[in-house]
Amino acid sequence: MKGYFGEFGGQYVPETLLPALEELEGAFRSATADAGFWNEFNAYMKDYVGRPSPLTFAGRLSEHLGIDAWLKREDLNHTGSHKINNALGQILLAKRMNKGRVIAETGAGQHGVATATVCALFGLECAVFMGTEDIERQRMNVERMRLLGAEVVPVSSGSATLKDATSEAIRDWVTNVDTTYYLIGSAIGPHPYPTMVREFQKIIGIEAREQILEKAGRLPDAVVACVGGGSNAIGIFAGFIDDPVELVGVEAYGDGNRRHAASIGFGTPGVLHGTRSYLLQDRDGQVLETHSISAGLDYPGVGPQHSFLSTTGRARYTLVDDRQALDAFRLLNRLEGIAPALESAHAIGYLEQYAQDHKGAAVVVNLSGRGDKDLHTVLKEGL
Amino acid sequence: MIAEAIRAKKRAVIPYVTAGLPDIETTGEIIRVLGEAGAAAIEIGIPFSDPMADGPVLQKASYRALQAGFTLDGLFSKLSTWSSSVRTPLIVMSYMNPLMRRGFEQTLARMRDEGIQGVIIPDLPAEAGEIYGQCQFMGMDLIRLVAPTTTGQRQKEVVSQCSGFVYAVSVKGVTGARQSLPIEIRRQVEALKTLTDLPVCVGFGISDARQVEEMLAFADGVIVGSHLMAKIMDSSEPVRTARETFMRL
Repeated sequence: MKGYFGEFGGQYVPETLLPALEELEGAFRSATADAGFWNEFNAYMKDYVGRPSPLTFAGRLSEHLGIDAWLKREDLNHTGSHKINNALGQILLAKRMNKGRVIAETGAGQHGVATATVCALFGLECAVFMGTEDIERQRMNVERMRLLGAEVVPVSSGSATLKDATSEAIRDWVTNVDTTYYLIGSAIGPHPYPTMVREFQKIIGIEAREQILEKAGRLPDAVVACVGGGSNAIGIFAGFIDDPVELVGVEAYGDGNRRHAASIGFGTPGVLHGTRSYLLQDRDGQVLETHSISAGLDYPGVGPQHSFLSTTGRARYTLVDDRQALDAFRLLNRLEGIAPALESAHAIGYLEQYAQDHKGAAVVVNLSGRGDKDLHTVLKEGL
Repeated sequence: MIAEAIRAKKRAVIPYVTAGLPDIETTGEIIRVLGEAGAAAIEIGIPFSDPMADGPVLQKASYRALQAGFTLDGLFSKLSTWSSSVRTPLIVMSYMNPLMRRGFEQTLARMRDEGIQGVIIPDLPAEAGEIYGQCQFMGMDLIRLVAPTTTGQRQKEVVSQCSGFVYAVSVKGVTGARQSLPIEIRRQVEALKTLTDLPVCVGFGISDARQVEEMLAFADGVIVGSHLMAKIMDSSEPVRTARETFMRL
C-alpha cells in the first residue's frame, strides 16, 4: 500500500488533510524528478549550509576506546545541526507550491531554528510550535528563532513537549491548509513525510560513504546514530543501506528505568501523528509521557522506516541513558575538543558499549548537532 | 439503525459526549437524559491523549476524563447498560490508536456486542476499504467524514464506503464552536446528497439554535459537540446542564 514500510507508515490523518498530502506528494515527486531542483538544493547545501560536512577521525577517542571512530560533522553545518538539510529541501518545495506561510514543530529547537532560518532566507512567514517545557530548557534557541523573525507559539497541552507541539502544528495545518506548508522536522508523520525527510537527509550518508572510502580505503563496520523521530539516523543509514555495514540506532533510555523515550526498545505498534510505528503507550492506547535529558529525543514515537528496519533486522536499536550521554558529552569535549548536542551524545555514548566486543572496528558516528544549546543543562548536572 | 433514526426525526440533532467526564457514571446519566430529550443518535467520544482533530474544548474534555481515570474496561462495562437505557442509537467516536491497541476487530466486536451501532474515526487511514469491510461484516456502521477540501472523486469514494450517515465537516479546522459557518457547506451537502441516499449531517462549529436551523434547511441532521461539552464542564450539575443545553438547540 501507498506510503508503507512493511506494516508501518501510512496516512492516518483528518480527511481535511488528505488533499494536501496528495498535493505535497505530487510536488515532491515532480521536484525530485527534476535535475534543476537538485541543482538548486545542492547549491544551497554547498554555499549556504557549508557542505560537505567533514568526516573527522577522532584520534584520541579512538585510542581511548580501542576502535577507529569517525565523526560525521553535522554540527558544523550552518545553524548547528543536520536539521538544515531537510528544512532547505522542504522550503524549496514550499516555494514551488506557492505557499506563503510555513509552520513547524520543534523539541530541542534545532529544527525550529533551521526552519526559521530558511524562512528568513526565502522571505516566508514562519510559526514554530514548541512545548512550554522545551521553551524553558532551550531558551537560547527560542531567542534565535525570534531574531530570525519567526513566531514561537507556546504549547502547554499534555506534556508540553515535542509530541504536543506536533499535535498543535497539525491542528494549525488543518485550519490553514490552503496557505500553509507544514515543514515536519523528523522522519515521522503521514506519508510522504518519512520518505521526503529521508531523501533530504540522505546527503549525510552519501557524503559519509564517499569520505570513509577515500580516507580509510574501506567501508566502516558500523554506522551509529541517535534516534528520536530518527531523521539524522535515517539520513546516514540511507547511504549504507545496501552495504555490508551494521546500522545501529541509539534510543534515549532516560533515567535508565521507567522514564525514557525508547519507542523501539519498549514500545508496541500504534498510531500517532498520522503514522503507524512503534509507540510508547499504555494498554488503552493512550500515549505515555516520555523523558530524556535531550529534548530532541523526547518523543514517544519513531519514524516508521526505523520500525521496519528493526523488525527486518537490517538495523539494530539500542539504549543509552541520560547519565551515559552526559559522560559522553564530557568525554568528547576533553578528548576531541568537540561539544556534541545531547542528542548526538547518545550515539557517542554507545561507543563505549560497542568497543567492548568490537576492538579494532571502524565506526562512523553521526554527530548530528553541536552542544552549545545544551551547556545550560549540562552545567546543571555538574561538570 | 442509525440512518432510520435520523430520517425519523424532523429535527435531527446528534449530541457528542466525552466518556468519563466528570466520571463514567455521570456519562451514563447524560446519555439517558439526552436520549429522553429526543437526540437522533448519541456520539460517545473515547478520550485520547493526543486528539489532533480537536479544538481546545474537546482536548480539555479528553484530558480531564483521562485524569479522572477513564479506562476502556470501565467503558466496556457500562456500554450495554447505556444502550439498553435509551432507544437512541449509540455511536462511538474514537481515534485509531485506542481502537487498535487490543486488536481493531476484537475491540469493534466488543462494542457491537454491547449495543454500539456505529463508529466514527477522525484519523481513519487514507485507504479505509478494509476497515469498511470489517465494519460491514460485523454489522456496524462506519460513519465517514467529508471535509470542505474533499474533492469530487474522493467524495464518491468515501460515500461508497460509508454507512449510517455521511458526516459533512463544516469548516477547515478542528472541532469547536464558531460564531458563523462558511456558506460553502450548503453546496457541499447538496453535492453529497446527489451521490448517496444516506442522510448527510453537518458537524464542527455548531453552537446554537439559529445555526441548527440554518443547517437543517439543507442537511438531514447536525452534530453538536464542543458547545455541549463546554457547558457540561462548566457546570456543577452536568446532567441537568446537558439536558437544558440540548433542549435549547
